[in-house]
Amino acid sequence: MKNISKLIGASLLLIALSIPQSAIYAGPTLKVLGWGAKSGPLKSFGVNSEAALRSAVAEINSAGGVRMGDGSMAPMEVIGYEDSACKKDEAIAILRKTASTTDAIVGMGTTCSGVCQAMFGVLQKKVEDTSDSGVQMPILADTCIRPGLAKISEWSFRNVPNEITMYDELFKWIRTAYPNVKTFTGGSETDQGHSFITYTAIIVQMAVKHGFEWVGPAVPELGPKVKQGMKELQAAAKSQHWLMGDTNYTVQARKIKKQNADMVLVASHPFSACGFMKEMKRQRVKPKLLVGLTSSASQETLNGCMSAAEGIIIPTGFAPITPEAKKANSIVSKAGGFLDLHSSAAWENAYLVKRAVERAAIMGRPDTLQQDRRNFRNALASISSQKGLIGPLTRDGSTGEADKPYVYVQVVNGKWKVIHDPNS
Amino acid sequence: MEDFLYEVVEITQTIWDGVLFGSTYALIGIGFTLIFGAMGKLNMAYAGAAIAGAYVGLAVSMFLDAPIIFVFAVSALVSTLMGYIVYQTCFRFIPTHNHLAALMASVGGLFLIDEVIVLATRGSPMNFPGLFEDAYFELGPFGIRGDLLFVFFIGIVSTVVLLYVLFKTRLGMATRAVAQQDVAAQLCGINIHRTNSITFSIAGLLGGIAGAMTAAAVGVLSPVMTVPLTIKGLIVTVIGGLGSIPGAIIAGLFVGAFENFFLYIRGIDERDMYVVALLFIFLVFRPNGIFSKTITRD
Repeated sequence: MKNISKLIGASLLLIALSIPQSAIYAGPTLKVLGWGAKSGPLKSFGVNSEAALRSAVAEINSAGGVRMGDGSMAPMEVIGYEDSACKKDEAIAILRKTASTTDAIVGMGTTCSGVCQAMFGVLQKKVEDTSDSGVQMPILADTCIRPGLAKISEWSFRNVPNEITMYDELFKWIRTAYPNVKTFTGGSETDQGHSFITYTAIIVQMAVKHGFEWVGPAVPELGPKVKQGMKELQAAAKSQHWLMGDTNYTVQARKIKKQNADMVLVASHPFSACGFMKEMKRQRVKPKLLVGLTSSASQETLNGCMSAAEGIIIPTGFAPITPEAKKANSIVSKAGGFLDLHSSAAWENAYLVKRAVERAAIMGRPDTLQQDRRNFRNALASISSQKGLIGPLTRDGSTGEADKPYVYVQVVNGKWKVIHDPNS
Repeated sequence: MEDFLYEVVEITQTIWDGVLFGSTYALIGIGFTLIFGAMGKLNMAYAGAAIAGAYVGLAVSMFLDAPIIFVFAVSALVSTLMGYIVYQTCFRFIPTHNHLAALMASVGGLFLIDEVIVLATRGSPMNFPGLFEDAYFELGPFGIRGDLLFVFFIGIVSTVVLLYVLFKTRLGMATRAVAQQDVAAQLCGINIHRTNSITFSIAGLLGGIAGAMTAAAVGVLSPVMTVPLTIKGLIVTVIGGLGSIPGAIIAGLFVGAFENFFLYIRGIDERDMYVVALLFIFLVFRPNGIFSKTITRD
């Protein structure tokens, strides 16, 4: 009899442990669904963002959850994290499925700019436009940094620094911090929209704006305004660019060596940035300063080319410089992820969702789903400032553009080191 | 005049760099062509297996803190094993006449290997130790990478060894016999599957060397390398003539020079267009490859 009691007790314990927490909780839950690249060469984006999102949600739940419209506290639940593989068609399919077959109140993803551009395109443009049959589902993306994406739809939101301001301020700071740097050139990967467009429309122009002299192929149209001389620059410097999967950078490095610039811009993701910087090192190209694309301020760059990247300066939306950032960094690391400019946005987005839910009086019932999504969108749009990991996240209600704080980091002795915080 | 001389120097350097880098394409091309020569089939998983071998070599050497030569040895051994596994899984049990099924199975093999690499590394690029990384010789206006000279040398040695094995050993005779007439070879007592397994393993060995050499030449290992290397290997194999080992070597060097030249004069956006155009030109005018004396058409 005693053994039977023990057996029953153990069985009940096992059953209890095997039931998800959300199943025990009988009241409403706040459901979100995330997606990002969990396969393919950009897998680290999705893995890190998922770890950050789930960790932040766990933190929110351990602090009591979110306050629903009926005044009760409910747990937040990540009902899934899908693999969009940084592909447009995959992300659009996930968005449509999430909107029509799940009771997630918001879709949280993705990281890749090109994917966001396509995905935002299938959303209803204006909330009030009843003639627009686009998908009515709020999307809160982590990063998707390419300028101009926020205005595609009133249902689309992102958490990202303003790249124009970020590079504008960077070159302004370099002007004073490195007075002996006067000339510049650079290269980019042409098959990655964010890298190439940002380089030819923003980065080069902002460097020109702050008095640096372009010594690459002649581009008379080049000027200090965003996109000024962009097309001409793309055409003129076509032999010093590369593709993400390239293995040979000899021509590009040699061209840049001949230009003998003080500063070299490497506007590329870690894969090809590392190959290019290693080739520069082999060919003894020694600029006074290397400046990189924000997407390369990550662990991948250190994994790929710590030595060749030594000294590179990159603006980024995340560094463990505040107690909150350090704590989040530690939690996400334990969860098997890595906090960087992309994944830190996913962490912060969980808190943005909590704030918007509490502002919108969400009911979290199946019969109120569509109204909840609409109310949530309105609440999210009304948030103009929110505490982030390294400073306040702001959003311009008129343009929809987010503005996340950023810092400048540099590879020093094989590690990322914060060298300047424009907000301090 | 000064501008003209400058351009001459730059174009010469560009072509020379391309030729040297083309030795990595040649090494990949040899593997493709060896298997095609033996079986009349394309092993699309070949470059993927080569890069996977380099990854394992790198991982083991990092774990054991072993010298760079160990990376190459492990890469070659692992790729040899992978060559064998690819044969057993993608070719062994598929009917000989069903070329499409074997092709698709090896395409599946390529993507599987790619995804396993991505899973294991999270897609992160990995620093790969270079051979003679600091050996960069400057001769007047020209520069020569010592490591690429070494890759070039390894390519030549590999070809010589391979040709010796194919034409001076019993194994080579068996391989050629199976390639020419498999039923007759079987009637002569040659075990076809054993011979093919060994051919795939030898090609894998070469692939391991090629993968490690390519990674060392770039300095970085990344899963994004497998598909471009597969495409380059196929182009080299077709231009060199399917089944021709000397053709693969020359075509590898030629494609390397050709793409670098067009990168220099036309830019990155048009570079690959010219390389593919070259492939079409060969397919139309010299479908049997660069060294073929005959042109086979319907």
